[in-house]
Amino acid sequence: MAETLAWREPRRGVAAAAPIEASRDVIGSSISMRNVVKTYGAFCAADRISLDVEPGEFITLLGPSGSGKTTLLNLLAGFQTIDGGEILIDGKSIAHVPTHRRGFGMVFQSYALFPNMTVSQNVAFPLRMAGVDRATSDRRVAETLEMMRLSEHARKTPSEMSGGQQQRVAIARAIVMRPKVVLMDEPLSALDRRLRESIQIEIRALHQTIGSTIIFVTHDQSEALTMSDRIAVMDKGHIIQVARPLEIYRHPQSRFVASFVGESNLLEAEILENRGGMMRLRSRAGLLFQAQSRDPGARGTATVLVRPERIALCDTATAESVPATVTSALFMGETLRIEAELAGGETLLIRCQDTAARSLPQVGSQIHVSWGAEDCWVLA
Amino acid sequence: MTDLPVSETAPARRRPLLRNPALLLVPATLFLAVIYVMPLIDLGRVSLSGDPWWAYFDRVFSVPLYWDSLVRTMQIALTVACLCVVFGYPTALLIQRSRGTTQVLIATAVILPYFIAILIRTYAWMVLLGRNGPINKFAIWLGIYDQPLALLFNRGTVLLGMTAVLMPLMVLSIYSSLSRLDPGLTRAALASGAGPLAVFWRVLLPLTLPGIGAGFLLVFVSALGFFITPTLLGGPADQMFAMHITQQADSITGEGFLQALAVVLLLITLIVVGVAGRLMGFEFIWGGGKLAEPAETATESRPGKTRPRRRSLGMVFADTVGWPLLRILGRMPASVGIWTVRGIGFVIISALILPILVVIVISFSEASYLTFPPPGWSLKWYEKFFSDSNWMTAFWNSMGIAALSAVIAVTLGASAAMGIVRSEIRYKSALMLLLVSPMIVPPVVMGLSLYSLFLQLGLVGTYFGLAAAHAIGGIPIVVVIVAASLQAVDRRLEQGAAVHGASPLTVFRTVTLPAIAPGLAAAVFFAFLHSFDELVLSLFLSSPRMKTLPLMLWADINYQLNPVLAVVSTLEVLLVVGGVILARPVLSRSRGGH
Repeated sequence: MAETLAWREPRRGVAAAAPIEASRDVIGSSISMRNVVKTYGAFCAADRISLDVEPGEFITLLGPSGSGKTTLLNLLAGFQTIDGGEILIDGKSIAHVPTHRRGFGMVFQSYALFPNMTVSQNVAFPLRMAGVDRATSDRRVAETLEMMRLSEHARKTPSEMSGGQQQRVAIARAIVMRPKVVLMDEPLSALDRRLRESIQIEIRALHQTIGSTIIFVTHDQSEALTMSDRIAVMDKGHIIQVARPLEIYRHPQSRFVASFVGESNLLEAEILENRGGMMRLRSRAGLLFQAQSRDPGARGTATVLVRPERIALCDTATAESVPATVTSALFMGETLRIEAELAGGETLLIRCQDTAARSLPQVGSQIHVSWGAEDCWVLA
Repeated sequence: MTDLPVSETAPARRRPLLRNPALLLVPATLFLAVIYVMPLIDLGRVSLSGDPWWAYFDRVFSVPLYWDSLVRTMQIALTVACLCVVFGYPTALLIQRSRGTTQVLIATAVILPYFIAILIRTYAWMVLLGRNGPINKFAIWLGIYDQPLALLFNRGTVLLGMTAVLMPLMVLSIYSSLSRLDPGLTRAALASGAGPLAVFWRVLLPLTLPGIGAGFLLVFVSALGFFITPTLLGGPADQMFAMHITQQADSITGEGFLQALAVVLLLITLIVVGVAGRLMGFEFIWGGGKLAEPAETATESRPGKTRPRRRSLGMVFADTVGWPLLRILGRMPASVGIWTVRGIGFVIISALILPILVVIVISFSEASYLTFPPPGWSLKWYEKFFSDSNWMTAFWNSMGIAALSAVIAVTLGASAAMGIVRSEIRYKSALMLLLVSPMIVPPVVMGLSLYSLFLQLGLVGTYFGLAAAHAIGGIPIVVVIVAASLQAVDRRLEQGAAVHGASPLTVFRTVTLPAIAPGLAAAVFFAFLHSFDELVLSLFLSSPRMKTLPLMLWADINYQLNPVLAVVSTLEVLLVVGGVILARPVLSRSRGGH
């Protein structure tokens, strides 16, 4: 208890406000969740979740709705009480620290800007709550608005602004105290795609500047891939895999991760031969191919992931290629999206770049597809 | 076939005249013009008929009896409105904060009394505070004093009774404004480092000010014209202005002067409502969003869309005076705040529910006078009620009048609501204001103005006359409920039906009607209940041979407080409980009216 009290002290008063001039303003907190449990009646929203977040890390909780990612964020923020386990911030438990003393910044999906205040009043709110003096507060607000390119909107009310601007105000409010931890609850999902991408980049750059630890919740896998240092994929109250985006995408640990992150072809196959990880497999439909596995001793059957963009398309048959019949072909802009059926009955999704040399294949026409052993990933 | 959908979506002016939905407004407007607006104008005319024309008004303001009463009425109304805000806000917060069954129970405890007749709720307070009532008995049992005290008939009981009667209005008004807030705002404030008190002071309070204002005005305006409660609970020193009007109406000398009294009360009410309407929009009367401009409903969901610059003065006050005070309070542990809210909420809910429960218990009493707890149990008062021909005649009169009144109110009100929501005429807001304005006219004034019209038409003491008079107050209720359910109907469903070849009539029958059916049913019930409970108009407009249930109750309460009244009250409570259970799905969407 004494520890938690000491922990919240620096937040009160001006002393806590770090100078902005430094390139990295604060050193983010480390967050450690240990066997966190949250239940609603019989439903287990968080089932013994453990996760360690490094100081200053940008970590994304990714999962479908109902996977427990928002619950976890609410527990971190203190909106809900934890049923079991503990959460440590910089090694200290926050179990008895109420939300308003945790000193986090938070961005909400609905923006949650105070409609009765102007933009600058909204951004000044956390400073006033901390009792920061007027002059410092004004300077801080001006600097933060400048940083978010909102200076000319300072006197507007939230209702006079567009969604993207409102969300930038919400971000400004979340970072104005230079908090050690910023929580973001699907902040971009109410925005249209173009805006979303530009704010993604903005948040990423902001993270580099201020150095806070950021916990970002989203159900959008591409958002997670672009922004995060690490991604924690969640499903049904569990964290399935925590890894860097590239690792998550290339080497998913389960079918769920493979199919939730990115597009995937999952082939059920029988392991014919396993020579120190180099496998020869036969798919259920009889397709023979090779793949690299982590497990030099695996036997029996395996699920093999082949990403659609790793499949090569050739017009004529080669030694490695297999024939397939086009069942659907769509022009998507920068890529072509082709579905083709293999001779054995398996359907493959293929994505290839739109190039001058390639025309969109006719539905029903014969094509030849191939991939190398390094393009396959054998799931456990 | 293709021309149907085209004409359905075409602008109103291209339609044949008879297809214009604005026509639906005509019957209700005509009805109200004849039976409501004209008598009020006539009232004004008579009040000005003195010599010189201001003679009667001069008397109102120069005779201390009336002037003092006017001042007293304002004081009482203001006090009641303030008490309602102070105690109503925590109660509304409690409803909003609680979840599941608790929330349903608390909300029911607030809403239920709202629909029970004022007369009966006032009677319940008389029972509760009576010489042999539970409060006296309990205090003696506790040993606080040893002789029963005279708790009734003073200023305190008037304030208590009126506050209790009007409290649901305030709680519902504040609650509806609280529930429209984005729950993320509270969380955002907490995450920004605001403690519970700061969340309240900086976020909740400023954003619910419109709801508080609406509740305050509704309570204040209703209290201005209050008649039943102060008459029954007050002493000689608590005469309110409306009571003078009824007393003068009983004497023959009053002609002209009487009307002047009524006009003064009406003008004060209208000025208050007018000023408030200019400031915050007249929507506060029907406690809803902007019904007349459906296009604006999208922005209406953010109730804080008020001009923050105008409030900057309030913000300065909040910073310099309120905040330092709250900072001191903030030193107390957070649980103090939570328990204060719960404590006040509990007191209010008990004050709303306990009197009614006591009356229900008393109705089964064996004693022939009012005492609590009852010395024994029996059903004899029920037998007495059902075998007494006077009570039964009054009961069936009330049922008949209420049914007829509901038919009139729903026919006129529902079609008017349709016209308001679906037509594209100008002055829509003004028409809506006319339709709902009977809600704010003091019933005493309306009764007096109707009396002379009904005398001329020979309608005094007739079924139809009373039903029509009650329908004046029934129409606003119907309009508000039906308009709300019509607005909830997705226009695209109707357009979808029309595109697929349904004629406008078929669209109405197959899409619109089923969607608003629950709303219509609720409207029928509340219009019926409004007439069934109506006392003040009936006092003016019935004859000695034409007794309604509330009139019988009124006569008996003034004459003798016997348990038959408790029986009638219990039956009314049963009726309301049944109706509210049936109407629950609609209640959650709109707010009815009394």
